Amino acid sequence: MADAIASILISGLVLGSLYALMASGLSLVWTTLGIFNFAHGVLMAVGAFFAFQISQSLLPYAWIGLPCLLALVAMIFVGAVFEYVLVRPFYGREDMVMVTIMTTLAGLTFLENGILAIWGPRLKQIGALAPGTLSVGPVHLSWQESLTVLITPFVLAATFLFMQHTQTGRAIRAVGQNRKAAELFGIPVQRMFALTFAISAVLAGLAGMLLGSIRFMTPTMGSDPLVKALIVVIFGGLGSIGGSIGAAYVIGFLEALLVFGVGLYWTPSILFLIMIIVLLVRPQGLFGAAERLTV
Amino acid sequence: MRAKYLSVIIVFIALVLLPLVVRDNYFRHLFILTFLFATVVASWDLTLGYAGIFNFGHIAFFGIGIYTLGILTTKLGVDPWLALPISGLMTAAAALLVAAPVLRLRGIYVVLVTFAFSQLCMQLVLSQSKITGGAGGLVLIPPLRIGSFSFGGSGGLGYYYAGLLSCFVTVLALMGIVESRLGKAARAIRDNPEYALARGVDQGRTRLIMLVISAIPCGVAGGLYCLYFRIAAPEAFGFSNSTFILSMLLVGGLSTLLGPVAAAFGIVFLSEYLERFPNIEAAKHMALAVIIILVLRFFPGGLAQAFELLARRVAAQRGRNPAISAAPTTAQEQSVP
Repeated sequence: MADAIASILISGLVLGSLYALMASGLSLVWTTLGIFNFAHGVLMAVGAFFAFQISQSLLPYAWIGLPCLLALVAMIFVGAVFEYVLVRPFYGREDMVMVTIMTTLAGLTFLENGILAIWGPRLKQIGALAPGTLSVGPVHLSWQESLTVLITPFVLAATFLFMQHTQTGRAIRAVGQNRKAAELFGIPVQRMFALTFAISAVLAGLAGMLLGSIRFMTPTMGSDPLVKALIVVIFGGLGSIGGSIGAAYVIGFLEALLVFGVGLYWTPSILFLIMIIVLLVRPQGLFGAAERLTV
Repeated sequence: MRAKYLSVIIVFIALVLLPLVVRDNYFRHLFILTFLFATVVASWDLTLGYAGIFNFGHIAFFGIGIYTLGILTTKLGVDPWLALPISGLMTAAAALLVAAPVLRLRGIYVVLVTFAFSQLCMQLVLSQSKITGGAGGLVLIPPLRIGSFSFGGSGGLGYYYAGLLSCFVTVLALMGIVESRLGKAARAIRDNPEYALARGVDQGRTRLIMLVISAIPCGVAGGLYCLYFRIAAPEAFGFSNSTFILSMLLVGGLSTLLGPVAAAFGIVFLSEYLERFPNIEAAKHMALAVIIILVLRFFPGGLAQAFELLARRVAAQRGRNPAISAAPTTAQEQSVP
């Protein structure tokens, strides 16, 4: 019994960490730009494949953390380019939310098939940041999983501190709250948009690298986490990054519990059912503020 | 408005006669695909365009239509003719289910819930493999037949007409609905919810009816799709299928009904054309994605609006209506008489 509880806890923490990385990026883009990035899942795959390729061809003998870091730097550019091509042309349009859903979906199609064309459909895996397993009493977990659980709060806290206490972070938040006023204060709005996308791409890429060494990498590896992240942000309220992170861990534990209780097959359906019930009772999400953002 | 109906009927008659001229099986296949997708996008336009409901789960209705027919005919031995209308009814029921959260939410949350719903449908299909065939899907779906004539015979001629009829009936019915009291109420809610409410338009009821109406043709089209291909595969619910059909809608122009139908034709033929070039499937999808982005970038109201602008320019140059070359209006305003 203790084993079962421990494994549910661990798997909940791992899932929650991944979802938190995903959902915080989604929320960040939503609160700043007011668009929903459907390609967020594929950015995860892009990060993982970058890390894979760098470790294969550039740094074959180095510790895997190094290629991962380089890939994260590359993700900054991916995010900025993504914003420049798919989002920037459509600012100020009345139907921007709708159009950017379409363009980010097109970006998803493009990147997913690009990965498929470059790396092929065969399963791949990144090496673990740290091999071996960690045993604490009756609990066994791989170092990779424990690192995932440990790294995530640091990354999220760093993001939070950046947003709260640096000039740039405050500028990003100002742009999200009132774009016109931010412009009047001389904040370079376009650059903040690109930066926001870069940050969210890095978060997604990191999630991809962590997942890519726990499970296998495929071009579509991001679509399942994206759907989970959708459920998370519906739960937590898209407008609040803190709410999203909280909801990510709730959903992670819930999923782990459900997989243990009712099996892998029924889990998505029950998660969805719970989401519907939450929405019927609290349309603003579990942790959302009382008012709902309209588009 | 009458000219619009007339042109739809003329195109219909031309398409009825087309198999007499074009006997190529491959082209017939493309036309069948076009008709089925056109039915789906036209019905999607009713909710996403005219009613302004951010319904991004329409693909789920299509998939539910496919699987209802597949399961009924292969597992329960129901006659395909009976299964087709049941597919429509099942999607209507699904629309009622989706409506429960959708009517309470606004904006982006509607997008998320409807998208999540279509993903859920896929998960259900994948997990309940005893009924749905799982990842392999359902195969050997019996064909439609009248007496001894199978619809699949002579290059799918039967499906050509079945698809054409479903598309034609759907488009005409939707044109009628858009102009009806209900359609006007839906557009009023989209454009000015407070005012519509003040004038006594029941928001929840109107949106609910629109959702259910738009789901039915989509389910029937799904049923026909399943009969034509004789398989039901979980990819129907996937992101790429969703993107493919959604692109027809946005490239064609929202709230124009005929724009998306024309775009369905263009995109189906284009994507098939791209298929013959490189050896890899991936390049086709990438090229389509680029085209979608370019159209959205340079023709904001979709091709329907681009076409309209072109027609006005031609008219202005002929000097019939010199005043008209002024500021362009959106395609949406154009459709309001």
